[in-house]
Amino acid sequence: MKTLVCVKQVPDTEALLSIDPGGKWIAPQDAAAFRMNRFDEFALEEAMRIKERFSGRIDVSIDSVSVGPARVRPTLKESLARGADNGFHIRVEEAGYISPFDTATLIAAFAEKGGYDLILTGVMAEDDMACLVGSLIAEILGYPCATAVISQKIKAEERRIDVEREIEAGCRECLQLDLPAVLTIQSGINSPRYSSLSNVMRASRQKIPTISAEQLAARQKTEQVSALFYPEKRSGGKILEGTPREKAQVLLRELHGKALI
Amino acid sequence: MKEMRITVIVGQTGTTVPPVTPEAVSFARELETHTGGFVQAIVLGNDVVGFAHHLAETTGVDVTGIESTRLALYNGEVYRDTLIKFLETDGPAVICLPHMAFGFDLAPRLAVALHASCVTAAEAIRFSNGRVGFVRSMFNGKLKAEVTTLREKVVVTLMPGAWSRPARRPGSRKQSVRIVKPDVFPSASQTVGIRESDKDMLNFDDADVIVAAGRGIGNPLNIRLLKDLAAIFSKSGIGASRAVCDLGWLSYRHQIGITGQTVSPRLYIACGISGAMQHLAGMKESRTIVAINNDPHAAIFQVADYGIVENLETFIPILLSEFKRQ
Ligand SMILES: Cc1cc2nc3c(=O)[nH]c(=O)nc-3n(C[C@H](O)[C@H](O)[C@H](O)COP(=O)(O)OP(=O)(O)OC[C@H]3O[C@@H](n4cnc5c(N)ncnc54)[C@H](O)[C@@H]3O)c2cc1C
Ligand SMILES: Nc1ncnc2c1ncn2[C@@H]1O[C@H](COP(=O)(O)O)[C@@H](O)[C@H]1O
Repeated sequence: MKTLVCVKQVPDTEALLSIDPGGKWIAPQDAAAFRMNRFDEFALEEAMRIKERFSGRIDVSIDSVSVGPARVRPTLKESLARGADNGFHIRVEEAGYISPFDTATLIAAFAEKGGYDLILTGVMAEDDMACLVGSLIAEILGYPCATAVISQKIKAEERRIDVEREIEAGCRECLQLDLPAVLTIQSGINSPRYSSLSNVMRASRQKIPTISAEQLAARQKTEQVSALFYPEKRSGGKILEGTPREKAQVLLRELHGKALI
Repeated sequence: MKEMRITVIVGQTGTTVPPVTPEAVSFARELETHTGGFVQAIVLGNDVVGFAHHLAETTGVDVTGIESTRLALYNGEVYRDTLIKFLETDGPAVICLPHMAFGFDLAPRLAVALHASCVTAAEAIRFSNGRVGFVRSMFNGKLKAEVTTLREKVVVTLMPGAWSRPARRPGSRKQSVRIVKPDVFPSASQTVGIRESDKDMLNFDDADVIVAAGRGIGNPLNIRLLKDLAAIFSKSGIGASRAVCDLGWLSYRHQIGITGQTVSPRLYIACGISGAMQHLAGMKESRTIVAINNDPHAAIFQVADYGIVENLETFIPILLSEFKRQ
């Protein structure tokens, strides 16, 4: 059984993000300021668990794929260190915003050739927060798809997967999907493990093939970021100034004033 | 030129009216003032007649109810295939859905089928140079983007709480309500049921004050600090971001947000929480919000009444000792 996990490299959202002079995307960051999208760690771990469950019965291979410029390669290395068997880099030249449609079109073209039984993505990328790429891949390929998946039970022999997807108020929708299928994985479905030393060693040696985006698919014109900007602060909200002690005093005074303490 | 069709999609599983439905109508009306055209709503479900009339009467829009036992539970493929027949028209169109489990699942499916642009979690409309732009959060809310669409049709999901409910618009004219019962066909996926929450959520109703932990608490030992802070208030509880629950530092019973609980205590103290919209959706109605975060650009400061840019590990002990000195 072949599984594909889509991993995105995102800028660390705790880092200082500034807007580039063009005003349409963030200014280039240090390599150190990028990491794997956290939701994708859960997707990768879920693929590992499927592989382990079938171990000795059915061979499960795990490929990872990432769309982006050259800097995304360390994220693919990390996916190998966390247990993926092979990593593939779909290379686009620009370092700016790539629309979810474009990303999905590229991954779908790649996946179609690979003949995957199961494609996993994170539910959302922490940078564009679109919650789109997984479903778009499924729609382009004509596969069934479940989003925000919080548990799964794959029945490889029956070519079926039973999943629960998270909906509001803590409830879950229970679905059965025919394989091949796409799942977008919600955080909390598992606890991602750390990389093992042997996988880290393997990852450092292993080649990551590059596929140029142009070879795969033409870019779509669907939507674009026309401006990126800093949000406005809520009117009336204040940032307290001074030493930590002064801030504590002001805060306590304000809370007293509002009869909260 | 063809008129712009603005369609609000309402998934009516269960018996309650999702509060985001009137918000979506507000969005549609605002868009209509920029683009012209007309607003309509489509309700899908097993038993939609009453709801379709209620919606038409309270919002003044024409409503089409699509009814089938096969629509009782949401299924993305079934909903897509059923809806598409009603949405495939020539000319410009905007289709809007709430950015909730049902909306963000259905939106991309409709977008591909209709060859439309897709924008998710829109928070505002910007209209400039004859173009409609949608404002949405990025980077855990630290930055906002204006996204413009390049195709004639657009599917957009709306952040809950971003638009207010419209004033009643009764009597302006007779709204039409049409109920259709199409054939609905099975697909490569079936929704077989809903599992009710087994999380046995904490009851925050009696808490005047909620002290909430985010990933920024760094390690679970620091929950002690938050408990000490909560203890200075008489009726308090401990909340958490999803990240903290995912890490196993607190159980999911504590989770606040769109997939956790919605709370509105008199005071909410967010400690080491970045302020992603999914968290904000569950707490931004709190009367007073205090945020402690060492990143001055964290999105939580956009909703905070009192922002404290400090390392919580050092600040909370100082706050506690100042409290004791008083
Ligand atoms: C469909 C969906 C549903 C979701 N539902 C929810 C939900 O219901 N509730 C929810 O909370 N999230 C939800 N999320 C997740 C949400 O998008 C965010 O990932 C999550 O809220 C982030 O949690 P956090 O703020 O604790 O962590 P982070 O985003 O990692 O933020 C940590 C913060 O701590 C600060 N910090 C670090 N160290 C310190 C220190 N020493 N002192 C002070 N501050 C420090 C950092 O500056 C940062 O701002 C959902 C996501 C999806 C896709
Ligand atoms: N550039 C990318 N490369 C690989 N996977 C991606 C990329 N962008 C998005 N994805 C996948 O799609 C998921 C949802 O992303 P988004 O739709 O952008 O919120 C992510 O969690 C990833 O699994």
